[in-house]
Amino acid sequence: MQHNCDHYNGERYPHLHKRKYGGQEADAVIVGLGAAGGVLLYELAKAGFQVVGIEAGPFWDPQSDFASDELHAQSLAWNDTRLSTGSDALQFGANNSGRGVGGGTVHFTGVFYRFHESDFRVRSLDGAGEDWPISYQDLEPHYTKIEQDIKVSGPKEFPWGPFRGPFPYPERNPISGNAEIFRRGCQVLGIRSTVAPLAILSAPFAGRPPCINRGFCNQGCLPNAKFSTLVHHVPKAIALGAEVLSDCLVTRILVDKQGRVTGVEFNHDGKYYEQKAKLVIVSAFAVETPRLLLNSACSQYPQGLANSSGLVGKYLMPHSGHDVYARFDQEIRLYKGTPVLAVSQDFYETDPSRGFIRGFSLHAHGSRPLGMAVKAATNAGIWGRNLREIMLHWNFYARITLVGEVLPEIKNCITLSEEKDEYGLPRAQVHFTYGENDQKLIAYGVQKCKEILEAAGGKDPFVVPDSAHLMGGCRMGKDPNSSVVNEFCQSHDIPNLYICDASVFVTSGAANPTETVMALASRTAEQIVKTRGR
Amino acid sequence: MNSIESLYPDYDVLALQDEWDATTRQIVNQRLGPFEFKLLSTWQQDMLKAIARQLAYEHREEVLTWIAAHVDQKLGSSQGEAERRPGVPPQKELILAGLEALEQWAKAKFFKGFLSIKEEQQLEYLQLLEVGGLPQDGGWSVEKQKELFKKLAGLIISAHYSHPWVWSEIGYGGPAYPRGYVRVELGLTDPWEPKPARLS
Repeated sequence: MQHNCDHYNGERYPHLHKRKYGGQEADAVIVGLGAAGGVLLYELAKAGFQVVGIEAGPFWDPQSDFASDELHAQSLAWNDTRLSTGSDALQFGANNSGRGVGGGTVHFTGVFYRFHESDFRVRSLDGAGEDWPISYQDLEPHYTKIEQDIKVSGPKEFPWGPFRGPFPYPERNPISGNAEIFRRGCQVLGIRSTVAPLAILSAPFAGRPPCINRGFCNQGCLPNAKFSTLVHHVPKAIALGAEVLSDCLVTRILVDKQGRVTGVEFNHDGKYYEQKAKLVIVSAFAVETPRLLLNSACSQYPQGLANSSGLVGKYLMPHSGHDVYARFDQEIRLYKGTPVLAVSQDFYETDPSRGFIRGFSLHAHGSRPLGMAVKAATNAGIWGRNLREIMLHWNFYARITLVGEVLPEIKNCITLSEEKDEYGLPRAQVHFTYGENDQKLIAYGVQKCKEILEAAGGKDPFVVPDSAHLMGGCRMGKDPNSSVVNEFCQSHDIPNLYICDASVFVTSGAANPTETVMALASRTAEQIVKTRGR
Repeated sequence: MNSIESLYPDYDVLALQDEWDATTRQIVNQRLGPFEFKLLSTWQQDMLKAIARQLAYEHREEVLTWIAAHVDQKLGSSQGEAERRPGVPPQKELILAGLEALEQWAKAKFFKGFLSIKEEQQLEYLQLLEVGGLPQDGGWSVEKQKELFKKLAGLIISAHYSHPWVWSEIGYGGPAYPRGYVRVELGLTDPWEPKPARLS
């Protein structure tokens, strides 16, 4: 499928010969149009900035690019090879990395959480990790704004954290069989559960329909009921004057003699171009952002950009994302409905009696056949006759997924490898090993999942180890010696270079990160407009 | 309970395809063949089918051929492989060398090729490969063997559970755009969804 690569003023071009801001210095250039980049593009365009968003992947057209098919949907992921090391080497691709306009929001489950107050103060409260330079209150107005902007659906009363509802749109109703089973098991055990807060419409909004329970959130939403920056922020930004370049991979950030950034170099279809800009904002996610900063090393910054602390690429965190399955006497039908429709955060905060710090969220989590079978084979050693027998009964399985906090450790990091990609740039090498606290948390969380499933009538539970999300690698902080950016995602070293995406996270929380990524982007945009507004 | 028979013997997901969007319909129907192999030799295809028989516990030639065709397409693609252990060769090189290595391991022990040994013996080889328990000569470290197994399992199982005949067997409602699912609650099904012919 041929995609256009230049988009502005209601026009689309399959070439770069008619650029809007190509021949001039734009006010800002944003690298990567995912959860953060989409919000920044929109907010800056709205404030009258001449802004260019550059995205490595295509400008997807859901109607022709998405399908109701898991195998086909693998093409929505960032599949460029990363070298993965460590005792718990991470899987990438569809597991956590998006490609194309919308980035990860195209294939995320839509679970939309705020972080809790304690997430920003892990060092103060629990003596581990580090405190963020901001508090929950700093992000609160941005959480509220984002939820209103995209009409998050959720329960009237949310029992955990500082925000107790109501959400802008009513909670999803009905919920799936798998979500009912989860809530039933929780009830038996006295664990509180709710319908999930979701960036998925429960009623029409902005020409988009409510969810039809097709179940393919992770494969790209066809009816556009699920929010993504592809269907929400980016088209609005273009209408406000932004220019979007897709299928254009940024290869280098450009630096002048004074050490300020001047724009970016990018490749489209084998040819190199430059976009000059007063500000460069890198929103390329937890692996590609550090990689681009390191690959942009130059005589002024031989260790890579924004890296005087040596911490670019350090403190990478996933969430532990183990799946627990159990078989029931009745059909559950994991394939039906939005994948996550019921959740619990009863184990979110530190409880010293558990023997570890921090906590986790639990999700009733649906599945399609490939997602269940492949991870069982590759991550749990379930294959052959055993897998076939399970899958022939898969309609009788329920599943709960853990979203477990992972503590930041400096040894978990992104570095440049010896191996080069097709542009001649060193590939990222990513090292990850769980720490002792992470392991204890997983063991406890998995046991809780088993208990909930068994309380609801499930038998023979089994576990498929997995991880989800990526955070850290360019963490924010007050001290330039121990962090990469300040509280407004501005690099300590280079005042006109911003890094704004999940890589600035200081700790991982135990909640899906997308809403926090978007709230940080909203706060960064507000600060840029305030200090550099036209 | 431990049956390997379908609980939905009369269900055919392909009979619902008029309700699917055109893109999905085209993608799914291509899995029924015919296939054009661009990379793999006949022997390599046969090796992959033999491995898929064990990993997916699948014995239908048509499904096995689709699995081999999927591997052919993936190994011939310029797209990356998401992640790889450092020191382990790229997926295409790893798998093609791995097929050759399985052949040599079988010959060294049984004096015949992998395709000529018994299925139980093939299964045993794959069980050893999964844990890195095959001979390490020729650079086949424990880690490299495990990676080969993981890459093979990922490709084979993802193709297997993308075949519409397998969807039918497991009672998967399948693609549901534009109509979606209306009755999602526990115990409810839309009229067109498969119903189990007997209790599990």
